[in-house]
Amino acid sequence: MIRLYSPSFSLSPSRASDDPLQQTYDAIVVGSGATGGWAAKQLAEAGLKVALLEAGRAVSPSEFTEHMPAYKLKYRDHSPEVARTRPVQKQCYACMEYNYEWFVNDLENPYSTPAGKPFTWQRLRILGGRSLVWGRQSYRLSDTDFKAASRDGYGDDWPFSYADLAPYYDIVEKYVGITGAAEGDPMLPDGQFLPPMKMSCGEILMRERVKAQFGHTVTIGRAAVLTQVHNGRAACHYCGPCERGCSTFSYFSSPFTTVKDALKSGNCTLITNAVVSHIDMDNATNKARSVTFVDRLTRQTKEVRGKSVILCAQALESTRILLNSSTREYPNGLANSSGTLGRYLMDHVVGGGAGGRLPELKVPPSANEPQRPNGIYVARFRNTPTSAKHPRFIRGYGFQGGADVDFNLGAEGYGTSFKKAVKEGFYQIGLGAFGESLARWDNFIEIDPSLKDAWGIPALRINMTHGENEAALMEDAAATAAEMLEATGAKDIKVQANVEMPGMAIHELGTARMGADPKKSVLTPFNQTHDVKNVFVMDGASFVSSACQNPTLTMMAITVRACANLIDRFHKNDV
Amino acid sequence: MKRRELLRAGAVAGAVAALRPTLAAPQTAAKSPELTPAQSGVDASQELSAANWKPLFLDEHQNETLIILSDLIIPATDTPGAKEALVNRFIDLVLAAETHDRRRSFLDSLAYLDGEGMRRYKAAFRYLKRDEQDDLLHSLAYPRAGSNWTGEGAAPDIGHGHFEKLKQQIAGAYYSSQIGQRELGWDGNFAHGPYQGCEHPEGSHK
Repeated sequence: MIRLYSPSFSLSPSRASDDPLQQTYDAIVVGSGATGGWAAKQLAEAGLKVALLEAGRAVSPSEFTEHMPAYKLKYRDHSPEVARTRPVQKQCYACMEYNYEWFVNDLENPYSTPAGKPFTWQRLRILGGRSLVWGRQSYRLSDTDFKAASRDGYGDDWPFSYADLAPYYDIVEKYVGITGAAEGDPMLPDGQFLPPMKMSCGEILMRERVKAQFGHTVTIGRAAVLTQVHNGRAACHYCGPCERGCSTFSYFSSPFTTVKDALKSGNCTLITNAVVSHIDMDNATNKARSVTFVDRLTRQTKEVRGKSVILCAQALESTRILLNSSTREYPNGLANSSGTLGRYLMDHVVGGGAGGRLPELKVPPSANEPQRPNGIYVARFRNTPTSAKHPRFIRGYGFQGGADVDFNLGAEGYGTSFKKAVKEGFYQIGLGAFGESLARWDNFIEIDPSLKDAWGIPALRINMTHGENEAALMEDAAATAAEMLEATGAKDIKVQANVEMPGMAIHELGTARMGADPKKSVLTPFNQTHDVKNVFVMDGASFVSSACQNPTLTMMAITVRACANLIDRFHKNDV
Repeated sequence: MKRRELLRAGAVAGAVAALRPTLAAPQTAAKSPELTPAQSGVDASQELSAANWKPLFLDEHQNETLIILSDLIIPATDTPGAKEALVNRFIDLVLAAETHDRRRSFLDSLAYLDGEGMRRYKAAFRYLKRDEQDDLLHSLAYPRAGSNWTGEGAAPDIGHGHFEKLKQQIAGAYYSSQIGQRELGWDGNFAHGPYQGCEHPEGSHK
């Protein structure tokens, strides 16, 4: 049952002071990305006084560059400034000469990794965080994911089931606007979809032939991009590069949706350039009383007081704040009586798949085609309730991919024949897997005792490797992708069975897991820390297992569910 | 494209105009040093065509060699080629900002052409006759296969590797230029939506 709250309801009377740091807020939300935006919106619209802290600056549509051709860039995306200041961030395709200032400066935001265990950590510190540049793919998890441990004996179940989360998926999808097609595949529960985007000829061939030969579901991607006017935002105009901003706000990003709503409520105070250092405890009551942050620009240390603290800073950042909030009572990190804080770090394994050409489709390429910001998706088909148990691995993977004609910039030869061959193009088809990353105790983050960021805040040491199960998933994905391409009629098929370095999927999950047992988990099933009643973590840190679906939709649904519970507690004076 | 220009684009004008009241951001960013040149609206497309242009990195011989090579790889036809697109100037700009290793690698490949020119025709590449240059490039342009007689694999094809490296740089510079975009037929508009996908009858995708 979902309760609706009156926006006019107010729990804390407003103070006369204009100084945002002289007030005591009902809730301090740390982070303004996909989940922080939702937390601020839900709580502020319910009448709570909210302080929304963002480590970066505000963002304006005037800095969107999605309609700027590459030839207007001095280095046409080979800028030495990106290589100099963002050597880690530029490992992500979305960090480019257009927009690199949205990504953190790696020189100011260091982290360490042990020798031989690289991890790439992609971060944005700006209003909206990674929701400005995310891939927008939005899939529900199913009970095969939430109850995976009960089926195969590995790890732990989530402390709730699909039925508990489904109403919150509905709320998020209806607000965000998810384009997609219902398929009735139990591995990929259907949701509240806007009309699906169309498939290309090659994708339809793949859908039909793969269904006929293997029974797998090939569907159009489910994406947080509008295909019709929705909640005051226009439909996508198919210009292509969403990660550079959208002047019609047609893809979901928090500054222009949830954060905007939170501010409109009159109950939310946005504090930008607030680099949070730690949570301050009142030891007498065992409750958090404030959050200390460093002003990003002046480097002054400041404090904001609140009745509750909600960390939505991104999985690793939220846990870093808890680890940096140790007290005498919590010497190994705040809310870490279980010893699991920082443990069970996950990131989907990528690197398995296949690509080829579809010579039967002879379509000339065009520079004047709509650019669909979406691909196709193949639902997980390994280790499902109806398939045989795979002998070499547990869990499974889904594929993202696509098929379309493109200019053949790699044509052979040179001269007039090369120039002509480029324009003749070729029809390409490809699939890349995202596999489940098992929750393992020995994948963890900790504070590096000798490393601090530019604001003097102790930085993380990230310890993660993918294991044998992940490698087996990618090996299998290469083979099954090749089979599906072959069935579609592809030629010149090339497979990849790599295990890319952890972090590459940019789906970091875990490190403050939920659970019913306080001895084995950090958070309750409603994202409240077991140890400190008024501290919450509402982001990917709370995941118990990674499943293989892109996680942001689930993070948002979990946040809305947790906020509904928190609002209830405020009403019962139980925070 | 600025929003004003976008409004002129017929395909999306209606949608954008309908949205106007929501275009205000939660906060208006003050003029900030934390913007990329692109985010600040800088248009660098004319910088390479300055009348007093001088190479930043390449010496005169390397620059002239690159102009001739780029013109052979992507010649002017009924459309302008790499020379008109100032491909040499863009590559020079990028090399000037590159790491030592990458610069070295490019110059090695360029020097390889001179070495082959000297070996075969006793002159550096830029001084060869046009048909000699063409013969030399043809011998490098296609990868070598293994033996049909013994079944042995091909030896590492060093010349083809150098050729491919130079060609990729030239093609990348050409097709990312304004001339290159026009060569691909771009009409200058950014939105051509909505995406229609496959419109063929079932079972036919020809």
